[in-house]
Amino acid sequence: MPLGHSRAAAHPALWGDDSPANGRRMGRRMIYSLRHRTAYGYARTVDLASHLLHLKPRILPGQRVLSARLTCLPAPDHHTETHDHFGNAATRLFLVAPHTAFEVTAESLVEVDFPEAPPAARSLPWERIAAAGLGAETADFLLPTLFVPLIPEATAYAAVSFPPGRPVLEGLLDLNRRIRQEFTFQAGVTSITTPIAEVLRMRRGVCQDFSQLMLAGLRGLGLPARYVSGYVRTRPPPGQARRRGADQSHAWVSAWIGDEWVQLDPTNGLVVRDEHVVLAWGRDFSDISPVRGVLLGGGAHRLEVNVDLEPATERVA
Amino acid sequence: MPELLGNGPDEMVSGAGRIRGHWRALMGIIGSLGRPALAERGERLSRAMAEDGVASLLPGAAGELWKLDPVPLPIMGEEFEALAAGMAQRARLLDAVLGDLYGPQELMAGGHVPAPLIFGSPSFLRTARRSSGLPRRPMLHLYAADLLRRPDGSWAVLQDRTSLCSGLGQLLENRRLHSSAMAEAFGAAQPRSISPFFELWQEALIRLAPHGRRDPAIALLSPGTRDPHWFEHVVLSRELGCTLVETGDLTMRGGALFLKTLAGLQPLDVVLSRVDAAALDPLDQPEANAAGGVPGLLDAVRHGALCLLNAPGAGLGEAPALAAFLESLCPKVLGETLMLPSLPTHWLMPGAPLPPLPEGYSAWGFRPAGRGAAAEVAARPFDPPPAGLAATALPPLPVAPSLVGSVLTPTPFVLRLFAVSDGTQWHVLPGGIARVAKAGTALTGRLPGGGWCKDVWVPADPSEAIIGPAAQSGPPIAITRTAGAIPSRVADNLFWLGRYVERLDRAARLMRAAVARLRRGAVLPRELAELSTLATCLCEAGLIDEEARPSAGSLTSLANALERTAKPAVQRLQGRIGGLVESVRDRLTADMHATLKQTLRAAEEALEESPDGLPDLARALLPSLRFANAVAGIASENMVRGGARLFLELGRRIERAQAVAAEVAVALDTPPARIEAGLRLVLELCDSVITYRSRYLAILQPAPALDLVLADSSNPRGLAFQLKAIRAALAEVAGFAEEDGPAGRAERLLARAEGVTTALLAAPDQAVEATRLLPSLLREMAAELGELSDSLGRRYFALLPAARAVGVDMGEAAIIEA
Repeated sequence: MPLGHSRAAAHPALWGDDSPANGRRMGRRMIYSLRHRTAYGYARTVDLASHLLHLKPRILPGQRVLSARLTCLPAPDHHTETHDHFGNAATRLFLVAPHTAFEVTAESLVEVDFPEAPPAARSLPWERIAAAGLGAETADFLLPTLFVPLIPEATAYAAVSFPPGRPVLEGLLDLNRRIRQEFTFQAGVTSITTPIAEVLRMRRGVCQDFSQLMLAGLRGLGLPARYVSGYVRTRPPPGQARRRGADQSHAWVSAWIGDEWVQLDPTNGLVVRDEHVVLAWGRDFSDISPVRGVLLGGGAHRLEVNVDLEPATERVA
Repeated sequence: MPELLGNGPDEMVSGAGRIRGHWRALMGIIGSLGRPALAERGERLSRAMAEDGVASLLPGAAGELWKLDPVPLPIMGEEFEALAAGMAQRARLLDAVLGDLYGPQELMAGGHVPAPLIFGSPSFLRTARRSSGLPRRPMLHLYAADLLRRPDGSWAVLQDRTSLCSGLGQLLENRRLHSSAMAEAFGAAQPRSISPFFELWQEALIRLAPHGRRDPAIALLSPGTRDPHWFEHVVLSRELGCTLVETGDLTMRGGALFLKTLAGLQPLDVVLSRVDAAALDPLDQPEANAAGGVPGLLDAVRHGALCLLNAPGAGLGEAPALAAFLESLCPKVLGETLMLPSLPTHWLMPGAPLPPLPEGYSAWGFRPAGRGAAAEVAARPFDPPPAGLAATALPPLPVAPSLVGSVLTPTPFVLRLFAVSDGTQWHVLPGGIARVAKAGTALTGRLPGGGWCKDVWVPADPSEAIIGPAAQSGPPIAITRTAGAIPSRVADNLFWLGRYVERLDRAARLMRAAVARLRRGAVLPRELAELSTLATCLCEAGLIDEEARPSAGSLTSLANALERTAKPAVQRLQGRIGGLVESVRDRLTADMHATLKQTLRAAEEALEESPDGLPDLARALLPSLRFANAVAGIASENMVRGGARLFLELGRRIERAQAVAAEVAVALDTPPARIEAGLRLVLELCDSVITYRSRYLAILQPAPALDLVLADSSNPRGLAFQLKAIRAALAEVAGFAEEDGPAGRAERLLARAEGVTTALLAAPDQAVEATRLLPSLLREMAAELGELSDSLGRRYFALLPAARAVGVDMGEAAIIEA
């Protein structure tokens, strides 16, 4: 571990709470040990830095946060904890001492056990959801945003999965599967600013691109959908292929089916059950980017990100 | 804008064609003035506004200027009381609604406010949503509303204003100008005084300080001189006794906000913000420019370490479609009936049909439903934004008499009223602004940079003298005016104002000297040498091109260069100076500002109006010299000793010292035999010809001449005088004379300048020694003065690099993994 014991001791954790248990036993229960380290190196001294973090897993039905802790080097001069508009935990760090490197590590123990999706064939016709989507819980997740504009190409792509009268969850599962099959997972060809239309044209990208494409398509049809940030397990369950998007921050989609949200991972074509840990959700990436900062000074920067999401028992063994 | 000017109710004339009671005294006075006198008053008001009022914004600022109509708009006392009660209720209602929308959002969950309207509004600031654990704080401190009188005689709100509430500075100016230009009417009508409102406001600001701090530091945050309402910010900060700051002056430490001053960081407790909330904090708002704003500012507000007014996100209250729901919200939220209604408003989602226009209204006006007060009214529905459209039924506009040409004409207007909260109660300003609407005037939108307006008067209540409007309960709070340590930015601007004024002076002197010689026709060899020196000086000062130096015998290239580039070069300098004068406006008294503005304007006009060509250039430059003298006079006679004056002084002295050193170096870059021409020119440029003659008669020698311009510290145009002044100012700024600091540096430069005379007198041939020794010595000194200027910048002005945003992109992380 890059963060040695002595340094960790010199810079005690910013959070170290034991979160209250609130999960409902619903199926296979997995306990994961999560570690997410982000390290910046700067070419020149940074005089002042402020960072906004969304790194603390949400407490949800189906997700219990057994422990969570955040350490950073150098230690901030000041920090605050709040919950944002979407109910995500947000940590703000303020560093006033000159520094040339900055690293933040979030470690937690999370039990996940998201309920199985309801029978797809019995879900409401998708048009009914689209017609009723303007309620207080869903209206925020229908509107265009900077990263997820509602472009006709994305709506047309999604519409293939939603012929008239189709139960909404059937359509969602179909769209989720199509993106997995029709798009190539390839890092480095896109960035956060790559437009959705470009991703559609290239048919390749990373989890963020696929999620935002799916969001644009669903919202274009009037179906409320959220951008979810989190992680997928680093090593697959025995006998299965390695998941795409492991070893790094992951993103997927949570869609409204009339009375609940169903989480879909279009990068892996999965319904989220027990292989993912949810950090935060919002309208798009910019609402909940895991680590974002404003620096004074610093010049060019290097960045290193490591994510490990391992079943706790395996890790101990 | 929809066509609706004209036919609304007349404020002055009743339905029976008679002048209403509260207009009679006023119109009696105005009538007794007679047409020509009234027109003259109108002129006087316009002039006063242009000279030192709202209209005198930046030089060359585009657009129409503000004009104040000499005829005020009186509102009957009883009617005003009803309006004031309605204003206060609307402010309480909007505060409560905003408090819910930025908190539990129960109104939305209950269907009382539509969610798409709020979530689709660009004014809904998600980052301002309150965490469940944090206490509810007021959203509104200041509230304004634009009102129209409807044909049935009742008033209705066209637009609520909950973010910037612009216009109070202008209102103050209107009242000030009116009371002098229309003294008779003022005396007869006796409008209620507006100063108690501002006193109360000042006390409220003190009371709002976090943690009940007794002597809070209060600031007005302005986007700066480029903002169309900069003047208002200057006036308000002065009226409220608070420091005028920009985001670049601020920084966060330990979760609290600080002002960067020459004396270090000073905490701020209350900030009256005139900066768009979406640009305040680049940490919380990814779309905000990282180089603007203050990272962490909104977090300080969130945790109560800073009181920001109005609260971030309050602009949501301006969403035009919200007006459609206020009537039903009022009983639900306040348990009261809405007293002051909005104009009939409908929230239209895409495809929704437009209801029929209510009787008595002349048109529908359309605005983006969630856009805030910045949106203008369109006559036709347009492609709706995500939050939909707001359709507002517009009545014919009410009219009041205004002076058009020299005739009193009924003209349509929109009334703006203002209210402020002291934390428990709302107080409505007894007065307001009536904006005169002409064809093409925007009905809503931001208060434009220009137009016609009227001062609004509420006749004094005879009982007021006894009760007084400011009487209120609660323990008395001592009014404190913050000492106002100079923000580093202001010091920086003063320093550069000093430098540019001096640069203008130098440019005018060099050009005048060159033009005088070029105009003489046949040029003597001595004059040719002088012109060559002048050309080099002009080149080095960046005033003419390099290739314009006169070659042997031909002067046309210099003459052409002067004709081509002199005017624009001087105009550039004047433009920079105009901007700098404006940026330090809050440090100047109104008289000082007016003097500078008028002399600068005269200098600009002289140059603009002079025909092209050399003969007129010299004359056109005179007012520029006069302006530089006015600055010098103000600096020495009108400015309080200390911070502000010191930096203006430093700028002027450093610039002048550099100029003298550079010019003498060029003049002495000559064979020893021709030194006389150089000396003559140097004495002329340093305004020292008369002094030299009185000391040495007509005998011109290098040592006495150079002593006068370089080493004699009693010559205010000489080098030693500047260095001495620099040393003194630096010692005063630092509080003590540091050996190795900037003051020590100035001291050493002074010693070198003073050593020149001894060196020349000791030399066997003064001319040889002067031409050998001085050019390089003086150039070194000029360069060192440049370094001194830079070191001042680093030390006092803290010109930090611009902030930028960093983030983790998922693709980026993946590349590094690979």
